[in-house]
Amino acid sequence: MSRINLRLGHASSEVIEFFWNGRPVQGRQGESLATALLANGIKVLAWTRKSHRPLGYSGNYVSGVLARVDGVPNVRLDLFPVAAGVRVEMQNCWPNPAFDVLRLSRLIPSSWIQGGFEHTNLVPSGTALFQRWEAILAFLAGSAKPATSTGEVAVPPARRLSADHLVIGGGPAGCAAANEAAAQGLDVVLVTRGHGLARYAHAAGQARPALDERVTLVTGVEVFGAYREGELLLGAPHDPRQGALALEAETIVLATGRRPCPPVIPGMWLPGVIEARTALIMASEQAVAPGERVVVVGNGDQEALASRLRQLGVNVVAARPVGDLRRVAGRSRVNAAYFAERIACDALVHSGPWLAEASLTFQSRAEGLLQLREQHPCRWQVVGSASEHDQPLPVATSSSHHALLCPCFDVSSHEVQALIEQGITDLEVIKRLTSCGMGPCQGQPCWDSLRALVSARSGIALELLARPTLRPPRRALSVAQAAGLADVVEPLQ
Amino acid sequence: MNALKPLPAKASIIIVGAGIQGLSLAFNLSELGVRDILVLDAGYWQGGASGRNGTLIRGAFSSPEWTRFFAHSCELWQGLSKRLGQNVMYSRRGYTMVGERSATAELLDRTLAVHKECGIHSSLLTPGQLREVLPALAHGRVSAALHLPDSGVAPHHAAMHAYRQACEARGVSIHYRTPVTAIDQSAGRIGGVRVGDQRIASDTLVLAGGAESNALAQMAGVPLDGYPMRLEAMALEPTRPLIGPAVALLDRLCYMHQTARGEVVGGAEVAERPQHTLNADVPVMAATARAYLEMFPQLGHARILRQWAGLVHISKDFGPLLGAHHALPGLFVSAGWCYGHAGAPAAGELLAKAIVSGQVDERMRPFAVDRFERNQPVVEPGIVLSHFE
Repeated sequence: MSRINLRLGHASSEVIEFFWNGRPVQGRQGESLATALLANGIKVLAWTRKSHRPLGYSGNYVSGVLARVDGVPNVRLDLFPVAAGVRVEMQNCWPNPAFDVLRLSRLIPSSWIQGGFEHTNLVPSGTALFQRWEAILAFLAGSAKPATSTGEVAVPPARRLSADHLVIGGGPAGCAAANEAAAQGLDVVLVTRGHGLARYAHAAGQARPALDERVTLVTGVEVFGAYREGELLLGAPHDPRQGALALEAETIVLATGRRPCPPVIPGMWLPGVIEARTALIMASEQAVAPGERVVVVGNGDQEALASRLRQLGVNVVAARPVGDLRRVAGRSRVNAAYFAERIACDALVHSGPWLAEASLTFQSRAEGLLQLREQHPCRWQVVGSASEHDQPLPVATSSSHHALLCPCFDVSSHEVQALIEQGITDLEVIKRLTSCGMGPCQGQPCWDSLRALVSARSGIALELLARPTLRPPRRALSVAQAAGLADVVEPLQ
Repeated sequence: MNALKPLPAKASIIIVGAGIQGLSLAFNLSELGVRDILVLDAGYWQGGASGRNGTLIRGAFSSPEWTRFFAHSCELWQGLSKRLGQNVMYSRRGYTMVGERSATAELLDRTLAVHKECGIHSSLLTPGQLREVLPALAHGRVSAALHLPDSGVAPHHAAMHAYRQACEARGVSIHYRTPVTAIDQSAGRIGGVRVGDQRIASDTLVLAGGAESNALAQMAGVPLDGYPMRLEAMALEPTRPLIGPAVALLDRLCYMHQTARGEVVGGAEVAERPQHTLNADVPVMAATARAYLEMFPQLGHARILRQWAGLVHISKDFGPLLGAHHALPGLFVSAGWCYGHAGAPAAGELLAKAIVSGQVDERMRPFAVDRFERNQPVVEPGIVLSHFE
């Protein structure tokens, strides 16, 4: 394992040692825990809930980077910088990661656990057996152990932030919108979840935009939801020791960009499959390659992506259109991508189809009538690539147990196909019957995959299939951070 | 799901609302031999409160009226899987009511006396027993805890699925995404309903429309107590089992449990103007989070997955409005539910009996639709809800 080294020429030389499942691992200054583990050849970071399939750092599925860090469960390893002596442990293992009996659940035929352990008919309730059965299932299908008991967690004080003009997103479009408003003398706040501006654009080889110094810049904060007809937005710092933000503004500008969404084909959940933004930022900022032999697929942009990755020192062995990709193969990680021919690889970087970052655009469009009513005049502007049309998702012609729509809950295209064949095409109903999209990712990108699959199989046009309601905070906010909000947001009187 | 099925020209009974109340009633009516039952619902399957509730089954309260009714329902829940032929996943994991103030400890003492009077199995836990039942609780904050061992939780999707399957197997016709647009009368009693242009004749109509109950009563031209109110809940990221029983934190108007999937699901009430919207808001999330953090310190680091709102129909005394409507022959009501998930098996059984035989069961009688006009509200101090003053 330690012989593999994915660090690129421009990697920092400052070594920081931390622990993975009790064993020391060397990270470098500037890396996240997820990147440092990948650099050491450790690709499997988590297991899916029911079938115990391996998951890794993908940029798409957050459950692939959740682990226990210093006694706290479900910490996002991609947002946690390497720090000396930190103890990182894999979750959903028993009795321990090295000797994990739960791995045997991979032997259970997928069709047995369709709909989930919790939807079982094997032991009906009301019988004396049910209580024990439920406890066993809760354990088997378990995830993280609860947090180590250390007394009451301190509540980080929340704060309110008001502005004339609030820009969400620190990419080139967000910076341009903020600069323009600042030039008009407006009071402007720009909030970005990155620790710096335009990380993706910079990683892709563009110059970093300059931000007008009159703009108040807030970094490392995820704005996750709009409340009260868009009068109030909430943001949460990635660092749980910092308090949440309640944001108000006359005008709200969404510059939240787009993200590549995995096509609905077998194997896209495997460790080693990584989306282009994550791969580029990792290679550029943290100097770690996604793999030793990398295949790139894209929606017309594959050549540009491949040449940029090569420029950064990554060994790209092929670049193909995403529509030609038939399946990704591997058992515990990617070992080949199948087009008309097989190409051996240990990583697949996918760029496109590109979809708008759904979290806030969903609310600004009042889809699902979640937080905004359609008739309410919308003070939101959408700028940059977030305003472009979503690209269609390729869907494999046949369904399979190996094509997971929702890796958090092991929901496959095969399972959804069975429901479609019963005439069930309402996405809200499919969600309730399968738990698709109800795990840590909260439907991103699972509901895009689900929607594309149902449309392809049922013939119902994509626009007619309402996306299930996106419900914030989608794990952006911790209980302690939420508790702090009571001091800055009054109930409606 | 089946909006395209043709509607019949007449039905023996029309039930408006295919939530758990409407389906439980339809199932019980069909068990009593009623045929040609039609159930209409404006929304999608589980789209209303029946798919948004906290899934708790509480089998006893602090008043004898509520306790007798819900104890019966809780008993029915335990045998429901067998009765419906589908697993409703009723988990008899117990329900613990936790008090922090001394006044709440006194309420729990009085509650225990009511339970004894009604023959309910419950007990006040000693600190040692409470540690065994809820090891993760902040025990220093607790003044008293009352435990109901027979109560528990049942996921709403399982119950809704089972009721729907059982109804359809018995020939009940259920139509979702089919809003009733008018209610007809003929010769001083119910004549039927209209769905758009189509008329469906029936001499018996049941309103089981949840938060839409007042709008439906208005359509029928009759008065009905109550108003729609938003309740909110949230789910935390799953972990292995930490909280065994369902829990009500009485002093915080907060309820919670850990699902079989490992998510802690619950909500707290805050004093706010009643909202008729499915949009969730911040104060409930903040209050729930504070309750979790203080009462279950291990949840302090946990992340919130999602938050959602549901609408219930709240009567003056929070109790259900159940039975024949006094103002219009042929009209029955099952409304005012804020513990509707727990109460559905009993409500369906007792109301079906009342419709078919005209006999009003003693457990249902206190919740008569006209009780406020007769000035006979049912006072229940042990619920986790409040009116906005």
